[in-house]
Amino acid sequence: MSKTVLWWLERLLLLVVSTIVLFPIAWMFLTAFKTPIDAYSVSLVFTPTLQNFVTVFSDPWNLGSMVMNSVIVAGVTVLISVPCASLAAYAFSRFKMRGRKFLFFLVLSTQFIPAIVIVLPFFLMFRQLGLLDTRIALIIVNLAIVTPFVIWMIKGFIDAIPRDSEEAAMIDGASRLRVIKDIVMPMAAPGILTSSIFCFILTWNEFLFSLILTRRDAVTLPIGLVNFRTERGDLWELMSAAGVMITVPIFIMALLIQKHFTRGMTAGAVK
Amino acid sequence: MAEVRLVDVQKYYGPFLAIPDQNLTVHDGEFLVLLGPSGCGKTTTMRMIAGLEEITKGDLLIGDERVNDKPPKDRDIAMVFQNYGLYPHMTVEQNMAYPLKLRGMDKAAQKARVQEIADKVELGALLKRRPSELSGGQRQRVALARAIVRTPSIFLMDEPLSNLDAKLRVTMRAELKHLHHELGITTVYVTHDQMEAMTLASRIAVMNEGRIVQLDTPQKIYSEPADLFVAGFIGSPSMNLIEGAVTNGVFEAPGVNLSVSVGDRDGVVLGIRPEDIELADGNGAISGPIYAMELTGDATLITIRHGTTIVCARGPATYNSQINATCHLKAREGAKLHIFDKTSGQRIEQ
Repeated sequence: MSKTVLWWLERLLLLVVSTIVLFPIAWMFLTAFKTPIDAYSVSLVFTPTLQNFVTVFSDPWNLGSMVMNSVIVAGVTVLISVPCASLAAYAFSRFKMRGRKFLFFLVLSTQFIPAIVIVLPFFLMFRQLGLLDTRIALIIVNLAIVTPFVIWMIKGFIDAIPRDSEEAAMIDGASRLRVIKDIVMPMAAPGILTSSIFCFILTWNEFLFSLILTRRDAVTLPIGLVNFRTERGDLWELMSAAGVMITVPIFIMALLIQKHFTRGMTAGAVK
Repeated sequence: MAEVRLVDVQKYYGPFLAIPDQNLTVHDGEFLVLLGPSGCGKTTTMRMIAGLEEITKGDLLIGDERVNDKPPKDRDIAMVFQNYGLYPHMTVEQNMAYPLKLRGMDKAAQKARVQEIADKVELGALLKRRPSELSGGQRQRVALARAIVRTPSIFLMDEPLSNLDAKLRVTMRAELKHLHHELGITTVYVTHDQMEAMTLASRIAVMNEGRIVQLDTPQKIYSEPADLFVAGFIGSPSMNLIEGAVTNGVFEAPGVNLSVSVGDRDGVVLGIRPEDIELADGNGAISGPIYAMELTGDATLITIRHGTTIVCARGPATYNSQINATCHLKAREGAKLHIFDKTSGQRIEQ
């Protein structure tokens, strides 16, 4: 087969795959700007409206409080998880301790448990503690989900930092904590930023635990989408508007970290 | 400035004994080189002095103080690493000022000191650059500058020139020598390059399998190697080591008959440096077919092979012959012949 034919086949394949992946997203964006009547039409010609975005933020949908819940839950999870995971990752990367490999495996093994298996124990525990339908419960659960993963990611970045720089700093007069603050963290900063955004995305999109552990007050955006399945049928135009609200921040973050993200994943994978 | 003493120091890695009972004194203001092949324990010894490796047993003293349990930051040492160990997120100026900042020096004084040292090592124009924007030689200078900026009592250098190209290495070697002369700081320098060791050291500690096999001045180590290991390690090309026996005051091996002043004995090894052998006019004390000829510019290295005996001699650059042609050699007038016991490897005094 000639090179030109291969080149065209490659492009065609990319086009087909991209279309399959992007079509639902594009359709969601279009539907978000359609009236309820247009929403059921397959025509690409319609009069765009912003009314759906106004509707989802007013009664009875009140998407605003869900946005607030999602931002607080994801934000606080990142703020707690990333510093803790960074220190844990440093310890796993640098300290020779008995059972280090086993401990690290143990941390990662929490990721092997299907969420559906542990959601009921979490439900019972939070009911007992009176934390059902609170942001605190969601933050605790999300910390348990993302922290092991963030430890693994950041460890990959710290492993790649040459020890010479750390040892040089110790000889220059820095304590271990000072070395972490002045040398390790700035050098691992791209990795930590990537991990933070990844942690935010995971928490932002978390569905199952939010569905089971919240009812009214602490409902997050992905759960809010379910509300648009009503007795009147599925309100696709409102669901799409809410979908846009959920995906746009993630798109922006993904664009920001695109370059670091691949590197972060590679570093985490090989180390 | 200070004296460093290792007293019966041992280092275990798990069950593996890396350093068995090390005793070493580095005198105040001395430039001591730890020389040996890879894995001989020289870097481990240096890292124990630095406090980067724990000492399993024994005492490490800096001055009169036992410092085994002191963290690196409290030992008043500075170290230059093989891979420079620079802080890539800081500029050259920040790299150099970091040890001063940690010691609470005020900013103006920091700036002045950094500028003074930067000018000394010709980094003055590069202060605002980051390490990634520098060449290998410039990075090495930054590492050096960062080490001298706070005038430590001991300098540790772990193969600092090994990442530089040959030409730059020679230049930096001279600069290190000059710097030591100027500052007079006690220096421990690790290398596997015997040329670096010979040119820089006040004394050399030759190490093998965790032990110091000879500790002496470069001249003495070159002229009186303590054993076969040192004899083979020091010198380029290395010393010829020929197995044979001494009968009636003559060392005999295939193709070799040389007068020596030791009693008759079997199982000896004769050591003679290539530069102590010259071409003989007639039948020489050393002879055999030519195995290889290598022109080095100012000389020709002639290697002859007679049975199991291989001898390398340093002949004139103009020497011309054929492979397999018989070559006659002799010991140069005043040549130093070394005799070692084959079994123990130890030098036999003549």
